[in-house]
Amino acid sequence: MMDRRTFLKLAAALCASFGVNGMPGPVAAALKKIDPAAVPKLIYLQGLSCTGCSISLLQADSPSPLSMITDYSQLAFHADLSAVSGKKALGLIDRYIAGEAGEYFLAVEGAIPELMPEACIIGHKPFGQYLEEAAKTMTGAVAIGACACDGGIPAAEGNLTGAVGLREFYGKRGINKLVVNIRGCSVHPDWVWHTIIHLVKIGVPELINDAPALFFKRKVHELCPRYHDFQQEIFAEKLGDQGCLFKLGCLGPDTFADCPTRWWNSGQTWCVDSNAPCIGCASPGFARKKNFPFYRLAERDK
Amino acid sequence: MKVDLGPVTRIEGHLNVKTTIENDQIVDAQCMGEMFRGFEVILRGRDPLDAQQITQRICGVCPYAHAIASSYAQENAYGLQVPANGRIMHNLIQGANHLYDYLLHFYQLSALDFVDVTAILKYTGKDADLRKIKEWVQAELASQKAFPGAPFLPRLNGDYLMDDELNIGALKHYVEAMEVQKKANRAAAIFGGKFPHSTAIFPGGCTQAARMDLIASYQSFISETKEFIHSRYIPDIVAVAENFPEYWQIGASKGGFLSYGLLPLSAERNGSRVLAPGVLQGGKVKPVDFGLITQDVGHAKYSSPSGLKIAESSLTPDPGKKGAYTWTKAPRYDGRVMEVGPAARILVDYHLGGNKTVKSLVDTYAAMFGITADNLNSVLGRHLCRAVNAVVIADFLLEESERIDPGGKTMADIVVPATAEGYGVTEASRGALLHYIRIADYKIAAYECVVPTTWNASPRDDKGQPGAMESALVGTKVADLQDQIEAVRIIHSFDPCIACSVH
Repeated sequence: MMDRRTFLKLAAALCASFGVNGMPGPVAAALKKIDPAAVPKLIYLQGLSCTGCSISLLQADSPSPLSMITDYSQLAFHADLSAVSGKKALGLIDRYIAGEAGEYFLAVEGAIPELMPEACIIGHKPFGQYLEEAAKTMTGAVAIGACACDGGIPAAEGNLTGAVGLREFYGKRGINKLVVNIRGCSVHPDWVWHTIIHLVKIGVPELINDAPALFFKRKVHELCPRYHDFQQEIFAEKLGDQGCLFKLGCLGPDTFADCPTRWWNSGQTWCVDSNAPCIGCASPGFARKKNFPFYRLAERDK
Repeated sequence: MKVDLGPVTRIEGHLNVKTTIENDQIVDAQCMGEMFRGFEVILRGRDPLDAQQITQRICGVCPYAHAIASSYAQENAYGLQVPANGRIMHNLIQGANHLYDYLLHFYQLSALDFVDVTAILKYTGKDADLRKIKEWVQAELASQKAFPGAPFLPRLNGDYLMDDELNIGALKHYVEAMEVQKKANRAAAIFGGKFPHSTAIFPGGCTQAARMDLIASYQSFISETKEFIHSRYIPDIVAVAENFPEYWQIGASKGGFLSYGLLPLSAERNGSRVLAPGVLQGGKVKPVDFGLITQDVGHAKYSSPSGLKIAESSLTPDPGKKGAYTWTKAPRYDGRVMEVGPAARILVDYHLGGNKTVKSLVDTYAAMFGITADNLNSVLGRHLCRAVNAVVIADFLLEESERIDPGGKTMADIVVPATAEGYGVTEASRGALLHYIRIADYKIAAYECVVPTTWNASPRDDKGQPGAMESALVGTKVADLQDQIEAVRIIHSFDPCIACSVH
């Protein structure tokens, strides 16, 4: 675990890499009062993605999604919500990326097809090119979801596009900008919005493996309300059973996320509460290997 | 002149539409799906039970539809007897997902095609939400920033609604819909485990228990959603239709209609569904035969053979292929172009006379607007059909949830065979969805998905027939040659999803 001193040193180093002192200008202003001119802008771009993370962001409760994109930040562009399209939309994106429209954070959902740039095009230009150009002007980036962080399912074994996450994509190009990783397939809306609030109000949150410690510090298994069942060896034997789901393949012991205490969909439920084994969707290696199935049912005769 | 309308926004994913304009009219259109991941290849060699998880990630807007189609395909392959509770839970999850998707589509994705957001500046009432929006827009416009009012401004040039009361009311409902869609998703998550990307859906049922407290919560969320459908959604669609009546004539696709039918009423594989399946061509409905579906790739970026049947499908990407302009394949039914989606579901069922509510709603609205059922093949028709779907589904879900046997079994016992194949079909909110699985040595040997927007946004086939959406755009008059809001309205009426169409 990172102590406060180490964190402050890291935070200072990260802030220095912004090219500003302490925190971005608009952030400092936003701390005092929500001023529309000063609220941080988000340019939200999608690569090899399913839009599931965007849809999850719309499931946020407090603050509401609308409050998040008007009070705490401004969603300057998002393909799902922007009124404008076509050339006018490209013009908006291009002006931000050229550094002509003020400071902004880049929000990225989806993986980058490293070996097949044609596999993701926005307005005649490969997705990766936007990311490279934005690296020169953005304050920092938030990688939203499994695909943007580590490649996700598009990067699973046998894939044809050479999909990678944002940090790896930047790393290969010697780009060393702040990238905050929010894992999950999809992300929980709180993980993203509360990170953005932290960026807006205070600065970079404590990170572990580039991910906010607040949400990803402990394992699902440690926090699981069925941990007692595990200790008492009360195991579900088949799908639909109650009890600890470990023998069915539950990946809670390998997955860092706070689902067991946070729950999903406004606290309605979460996977294990509905007797569904954790499939490790917040792990960097989620769904990566063909010979590592999600579930272990009865031993088969082979 | 040729104009790229892409990136088309307020849809899912990466779509460009290239239109050719002569004398202010679209004379040609090409739909270009611009994002490829290769799911079928990723699935090969994996454990078959991974499929309903992996395929949900094709689309985070309608993941439950993929989970259901994959579960049906696996149930078919494994020969599973699904307990009644399991089948009912599948329906409860999928139906709730439809309701959220219709509301999201009309308010968040389509409303800004018609509604004048700047009307909020004239608001003088006391509603807290609207006052807040007004103050926000005022502050934005007064700021010196580059793009005030984003993401709601800038926008395309167009003939927006002139009635301020309607505009302001629609904005209020835009905000309310954002809250209501969450409730429909909470309902689905009760049995699905979470939304998006359910973990509790399996072939054979659901892992969630059949508990009375869960049923009661579910019914409460669906009732609230139903109330919004009747008090807001339908009146808003009627208002748009009254103010833009020309859109009953704009955006007709030029092929047939295909629906696989939605929400099975019994565990039998070919038993009846709430909305009946069929292929509608020339006013006649025939049963669906999967053997007649083929996929052409003459204009799609693949070097694998063209015209293959589902079980023979193949996928070799060729990004630089000459003459290819999209990653979307061109599925055809018996060689014919098909539109799928809400209008297909309603028209097929209406012509079969299956669901009495469908018949009566279509007849009522046809009389109200002075149209015939044929006019449902239009921009307004697709919007109205979504609302009809929503009414029928919401009522069904409340009845269906009463049929759960509390405490009863919700899952079949799964035994994956060494060798098997199976088909699963359902209706995603965007239309006909088919999954095919073939298993060899306990692993997935082949998997194929033919997805709604694969049909609707398909390119020309090898005979040169344009896809449904391409054909719907041709003939449309446009006022602003660059922005072409008329074309954008047609595209939005199909609710295209490119993550689905290419996958």
